[in-house]
Amino acid sequence: MWTVEVFNERAFRLALGFALTISVATAAAFAFIYLQVSRADVDQVSAILVDEAAKSAGDSEADLRRALELRLTRDIRRLDFVALIDPKGQLIFGNVPVTLHIPIDAKAHFLKEDVLPDANGDKDPAIFVARRRADGGVLLLGRSLREDYDLQETLLRALAIALLPTVLLILAIGAWFAHRASQRFKRVHDAIVRIMKGDLDLRLPFAGEDDIDKIARAVNLMLDEIARLLDHLKSAGDNIAHDLRTPLAVARAKLERALDNESGTEQLREALEAALAQIEKVSLTVSAILRISAVEHGPRETQFKDFDLAAVCAQLLDFYEPLAESQAVTLIAGADQPVPMRGDQDLMREALSNLIDNAIKFTPAGGTVRIEAGIVDGLPFAVVSDTGVGIPLQERGKIFDRFYRGAHSGKSPGHGLGLSIAATIARLHGFKLTVEDNNPGARFEFRAAAPASARREREPV
Amino acid sequence: MAFGNEAVTVSPFENGGSPTSRPPDGLAGAPVLVVEDERDLAEEIRLELEASGHQVRLSETVDDGLRAARSGAAVLIIDRMLQGQDGLSIIEALRAEGNATPALVISALSSVDDRINGLKAGGDDYLIKPFDIRELTARVEALLRRGDTRLTRLQVGALEMDLVERTVRCDGKPVDLLPREFRLMEYFMRRPGQIVTRAMLLEDVWNFKFMAQTNVVDVQIGNLRRKLDPTGARRFIINIRAVGFKLNVDG
Repeated sequence: MWTVEVFNERAFRLALGFALTISVATAAAFAFIYLQVSRADVDQVSAILVDEAAKSAGDSEADLRRALELRLTRDIRRLDFVALIDPKGQLIFGNVPVTLHIPIDAKAHFLKEDVLPDANGDKDPAIFVARRRADGGVLLLGRSLREDYDLQETLLRALAIALLPTVLLILAIGAWFAHRASQRFKRVHDAIVRIMKGDLDLRLPFAGEDDIDKIARAVNLMLDEIARLLDHLKSAGDNIAHDLRTPLAVARAKLERALDNESGTEQLREALEAALAQIEKVSLTVSAILRISAVEHGPRETQFKDFDLAAVCAQLLDFYEPLAESQAVTLIAGADQPVPMRGDQDLMREALSNLIDNAIKFTPAGGTVRIEAGIVDGLPFAVVSDTGVGIPLQERGKIFDRFYRGAHSGKSPGHGLGLSIAATIARLHGFKLTVEDNNPGARFEFRAAAPASARREREPV
Repeated sequence: MAFGNEAVTVSPFENGGSPTSRPPDGLAGAPVLVVEDERDLAEEIRLELEASGHQVRLSETVDDGLRAARSGAAVLIIDRMLQGQDGLSIIEALRAEGNATPALVISALSSVDDRINGLKAGGDDYLIKPFDIRELTARVEALLRRGDTRLTRLQVGALEMDLVERTVRCDGKPVDLLPREFRLMEYFMRRPGQIVTRAMLLEDVWNFKFMAQTNVVDVQIGNLRRKLDPTGARRFIINIRAVGFKLNVDG
């Protein structure tokens, strides 16, 4: 898409600025080279003239004259102007009028215009050296800078001619980059719009490894995660729907059958009670869902208080002992010393209670359920272990998932949810809830999950 | 809560009628005010409370509820979410005026913060939707009959409790109770003839702000029953089917 709007793009303005900068820099470089070249030339010519004058200072007049004649006629590149003047000021030999005012100091002097016009009638700049001879006469040597100035002019012309195409080329390249960038942004933008409209399978385009590609890849990874979470949510939703619909369907069927038949009062009553029990299941499920979200949006660390985890375990022992006894299960709480921790005491009690509930439920008569609390490396931990059926290896990773339906979950409503609530509470306290083999039985452990700084990173639900 | 697996099971209307059919003295005539904008639920609450012998007045908005509460009510039942307004503002306004009418807050908001806010605003109890309507009734009864907590000796029928010496006697003979059993017993002794739900016991006796998933409460009650009467012939604590328990006044 090559439209006027391209010129409004940031990228194009950037290219334009870039072109200008390059042009100025190039011009500066050219100017520097030009100055250096011209000065080097003049310096070189000056040095040669001074040198020549010095060398010739001691020569006899006749020798010098011969040499100068030779130089003037054959080696025009070296000497353009020569004057040999006797001590009285008369020109003995040369092509320069004595009226030329050059200090007789054996140093190079620059004249803006030399004395003799060239073939075209122009007077060019030149360099002269005048030196007094041993006999009192003066030797004047000079050289026109015509060639040097020609070279400089050529250079300037070349520079002027070269600069315009350079700027145009840079502008063209800039515009092309701007166009390409705007094309890429447009493709990315279109993709984002389509994704926002619901096409979550779409990903941002990327080709290489530049910054935009890196961002596109990062966004794509984020989209993958969102899609995964949505998928998870959907399957959790399906499980919730199942947990709610099944008892509702059963209740409905029972009520309808009771209405259809010419049932007696006793049968009606039975049907009502059965239906109520199913509705109670629904209610328990809803309560547990609400409970998880309540805990997830529960107290923040600022509301945490210090309490003794060992005391909570002792309380729970007191509470669950009668239940354990009634099922011939031995309940032991082992914490020889206070276990200070910071958190929400009620929630920790709830989390441990869910685990103890399960442990007693799934431990056969004669078994043992053990509640432990302690400190390792300065961090509190709690363990609930039993000698029951245990958790099969392949289920261990999943049982804390919301609405995971394990092999046992059919028997007891809310079982899986209890573990989810416990895991959520653990996360809230910077713990990780894991399950191990207790040989036999299951061993649920609350342990510090990570350094405090990483606590807030929530695991995927 | 279909936990009713104990042998002793009666309905609320056996044993000489509902224990809640007589409003407490002094509050007779004052209605229970229900501020709830979901009409179906409000109607169910009305039917249930009227069946227990209470007068009920319904209100649907914060403004109307506040007016009704000012003109006198025995207990307030207030939903938090009322057409975009927070029902707690009723309680806050009343408390600011020095009106201490007991208030039960019902809400679908269940986070710990919500509960704390509900109680901070002056609510006396907090019930989360969905709730068992009989749970609501039991809690309204509890609010209506809040007893004198300064008593040190309690007596209900053949049962006597000394809160200083921490002893319990049945027909004059001492009953040896574990500390946890004593706490449970005290809760019943303070609420003779009143329905006590499992959730109330969990919250008030064991400080559990959630529902245990097992019948641990029933087991504890069973133990207490056996201590009070090893023969099992007498019914001190009776089951109220699917609701909870009650200390039998005539036991």
